[in-house]
Amino acid sequence: MAETIQQKQSIKEFIATIPFNKIGIKELLNFEKTPQNMLIAVITLAFLAFFVLGVATYLMHGHHAYNVTREHPWGLLIAVYIFFVVSSTGLCIVGSLGDVFGFKDYEMISKRAIFGSIVTIMAGFAVIAFEIGHPVTMLIYNVLSPGLTSAIWWMGTLYGLYLTFMIIEFVFLLKHNMKMAKIFGLTGLLVGLAAHSNLGGVFGFLNARTISNGVFYPTYFILTAFITGVFIAFIMMGFRYKLQFPENAKVMLTNLAKIQALLISILIFFVTWKFLTDIYGDMPNRAEVARHILGSWTFWAEVVLAMLIPLFIILKDMGKNLTGMFWASLSGMVGVFFMRYNLVHDTQLKPLQMMKTTEYQLAPTWVHYFPSMAEIMISLGGLGLCILLYYVGTKLFNLDADTHH
Amino acid sequence: MARYGMALDYKNCINCKACEVACKEENGILMGADKHRIWVGVKEIEGEYPFLNIASSAFEPSQCQHCDDAPCQSVCPTNATYYDENGVVRVDADKCILCSYCMNACPYDARYVDDRTMTVDKCNFCSDTRLARGETTTACQNTCPTKVRTFGDLDDPESEISILLRTREHFSLKSHLGTKPKLFYLT
Repeated sequence: MAETIQQKQSIKEFIATIPFNKIGIKELLNFEKTPQNMLIAVITLAFLAFFVLGVATYLMHGHHAYNVTREHPWGLLIAVYIFFVVSSTGLCIVGSLGDVFGFKDYEMISKRAIFGSIVTIMAGFAVIAFEIGHPVTMLIYNVLSPGLTSAIWWMGTLYGLYLTFMIIEFVFLLKHNMKMAKIFGLTGLLVGLAAHSNLGGVFGFLNARTISNGVFYPTYFILTAFITGVFIAFIMMGFRYKLQFPENAKVMLTNLAKIQALLISILIFFVTWKFLTDIYGDMPNRAEVARHILGSWTFWAEVVLAMLIPLFIILKDMGKNLTGMFWASLSGMVGVFFMRYNLVHDTQLKPLQMMKTTEYQLAPTWVHYFPSMAEIMISLGGLGLCILLYYVGTKLFNLDADTHH
Repeated sequence: MARYGMALDYKNCINCKACEVACKEENGILMGADKHRIWVGVKEIEGEYPFLNIASSAFEPSQCQHCDDAPCQSVCPTNATYYDENGVVRVDADKCILCSYCMNACPYDARYVDDRTMTVDKCNFCSDTRLARGETTTACQNTCPTKVRTFGDLDDPESEISILLRTREHFSLKSHLGTKPKLFYLT
């Protein structure tokens, strides 16, 4: 009994000693009132208002508020969920470079990146909560009746664990307990990578959808997560230093840019071979879908915005043009959004009856989908939520590297 | 315990849609909802007038294939989709979270969202109704005027369906996917 009380007290003490700034609404509204900052604030508030409107529409009309159909059951919200969790995994990888793997140059971004990974996955959960038809049932039967052969079960469960580890790691980072931060950081990273590759597996396991079926997505998700993490690292550091980077940030970001050039090159290599193997031999259902994708503007938006522009900016000055990289990273994130949207939409492009022994049921055309206003509003709301939480975090915690240890 | 399956002499189908009506009536399926638990597919005549390929026109009744190795069951995160003791692939609506993974994983497009319960539903060979009452026929089979459908126990060598499958050539849809469907199309 006495031991339990003692344990409770030590937990209370542990929580009470987490360093944070006591802030009120006044401090939250206290930011430099430059036109850029005001614009971001107004956009964020508008996005949050969209979120409320979108959720209200969903609560009134259920899934009828979305443009998802029997032929295209996964829509924009799934893509946006993937966008956020990819960002989270990527930030976790970037954050781990310093505090898990011990690369000193990257320690300055560890705390910020880990906090970013928590914020982005929370935004992802906020969005998916309104896509899953019965989220409360999910919480109950995920435990009572686990479907162990389901990639969604593994993905969801591992992401839940991952979030827990990330929060614990962040707390230890705040308390300068680097040893514990390293242990929880490494565990969180491994769980996060497992969760993320399972998310790729959600698509890779679809034997009925030949365009997505196979090993490509589980591995590609990890690669694109790292790329996304580096893009967000540039964006966060750009805002932190208002593009006037100190020397140590310059060193780190130049190195990150070089890593990014390698990663994007590998991605281009992967995607090229994916399409070559998809089209080669004209395999029914796969080759025609691949050709259809190559003819869609959203695919080229992904290629230009997330691959070509950032790679060009990096190679032009060997990663030294950090301001250019900040803007290229914003372009990259728009490209990454298209990347996520494309993979969800392209998986469902081909009507299923085309693969049947003999055709029946529906005319063999492409499945069309365009998100509804409610889907768009909830998605933008997720972004608003993400920006708001990150902003509150910058006020609440010291996200810079600690200089005194 | 049985292992239920269905053989379809699909070339006898006249597209009267009595099976769809009977299914809705028996299982309380939403009226007016198209292609829910079962449907009759129409394959249009190929060619241009006057060179029409009359043989290409066909009516093909279909539904959930009640796969022995069902992708929709493997991907379900809460085991809401399960095999019952008769090998019928069924859905426990209480456990369904409407993640729609099964809709994407089913190669036969056999799953749909029931607008009343907002869960994913599918054909269950009348397990809640006729089989639960001790009958051994399905509503669609019972009503078919041209006797397209034969329902029965695949494990019983003396059942009508087992005899049919031994004596008539047949194929399954997308058998290359390894789903082992228990719907057989007689040729």
